[in-house]
Amino acid sequence: MAILPPTASGTVGPFFPPHFFRPGDNDLTILEPGAPAAAGQRIFIFGHIYEAERVPRWNAILELWQADAGGRFAHPNDPRAAEADPHFMGWGRRASENDGYFDFITVMPGGFEDPVARAVRAPHINISVTGSGLMRRLTTTVFFPDEPANAGDPVFCAVTDARARARLVLVPATSERAPANAKAYRIDLVLQGEDETPFFLD
Amino acid sequence: MLNPPDTFEPYDDATQPAMTIPHYAETFVRVPKNPLFRRPVTLTEITGPTRLAKKLQPGNNNLAHPYPDRPRAMGQLIQVSGHLRDGDGRPVRDAIIELWHCNSAGRYIHPMDAQNPNPVDPNFIGSGRVATDADGRYEFLTIKPAAYPYPKHPTRWWRPPHIHMSIFGDGFMSRLVTQMFFPGDPLNDIDLILQAVPDAKARERMIARQVPMSEMPVLNVMGFEHDVVVRGHRQTPFGV
Repeated sequence: MAILPPTASGTVGPFFPPHFFRPGDNDLTILEPGAPAAAGQRIFIFGHIYEAERVPRWNAILELWQADAGGRFAHPNDPRAAEADPHFMGWGRRASENDGYFDFITVMPGGFEDPVARAVRAPHINISVTGSGLMRRLTTTVFFPDEPANAGDPVFCAVTDARARARLVLVPATSERAPANAKAYRIDLVLQGEDETPFFLD
Repeated sequence: MLNPPDTFEPYDDATQPAMTIPHYAETFVRVPKNPLFRRPVTLTEITGPTRLAKKLQPGNNNLAHPYPDRPRAMGQLIQVSGHLRDGDGRPVRDAIIELWHCNSAGRYIHPMDAQNPNPVDPNFIGSGRVATDADGRYEFLTIKPAAYPYPKHPTRWWRPPHIHMSIFGDGFMSRLVTQMFFPGDPLNDIDLILQAVPDAKARERMIARQVPMSEMPVLNVMGFEHDVVVRGHRQTPFGV
């Protein structure tokens, strides 16, 4: 049978309902209020998102998707799904603030032997960006500094321009907004212009 | 979820919208100038959140009457329903669909629309979150949104009535944000967003079908049927 073509994308527009965001949507370490915390090293990821000319892009919607601390996904396509952390979903969402600021609390993802790509995936976090003026989502993947596995990671290596690739690496940083015991990292996302973030064909 | 899709081809530019649209200024400053890098599909891409309802709780699917102790929203009552399917035509079950649209005067309940001269309807919120059932079916009741003008177009561009949908399929690669249009609206043919999709059949698939009046169980509600397909299929197909 022929494969059905996916329905065409359309922009989120400027009017995504603010009340669709709840406190805690950007905290991946806890599934719901009162639930046990996810296993692993807590990390805090923050930065700013910009459009052309370094204009802060406010009201952009960022979504994270990542493996648990052991490098597993609680999803039937992961052969190790049964061992995945039951207190971790791996997904979070947040809108950028007026100055383009965003932040997430999560756990350090584990790397893993990838059965699909038949390669070792370095610890990484997928980020989707949607918002006004984006007819389709933009996707990128961020990596951690000083990870030997980065050099062999098939997605990291897919960014063939070394300078662009370096923009996918989180930078250790400090932040007053980081929770206690969370290691903080900074990443700026530049949708267009100098120091543009590399995005992937979706 | 059993045997979710594991195979995802890059989107076909013919059936997806252009990233930049003339006279739609926002599309020119938020799109990368550099070519997109082609990445391999790995385990991260073929998986996705399976317990999203913990964070994105489905709510009331009656957007037309959000406050039980108050009158319903102003406007023509419509029921929108359809099936969410994957590339193999199999139902996508327990999927979260977020919906939002403007009111019957063309105004959104959103701080970004505060300058809109049209009135707010105090009995309308204009958004809701539903989940698909075991057949991949969703359904909600609302009022028909109005058309409204985009403020910056040099010769005026009116958006046809449309409903925004943010859909979470079975994985990262199945995520879809789209807009549903109404059949027969003359503004559809000149809408810069709908017409940004090159393939005519792909545009048609963004337009709902009207349910014949005689088939609607209630006199006062018009029905629209809108099926949506999210990307992804099985390498080795299973039975439905």
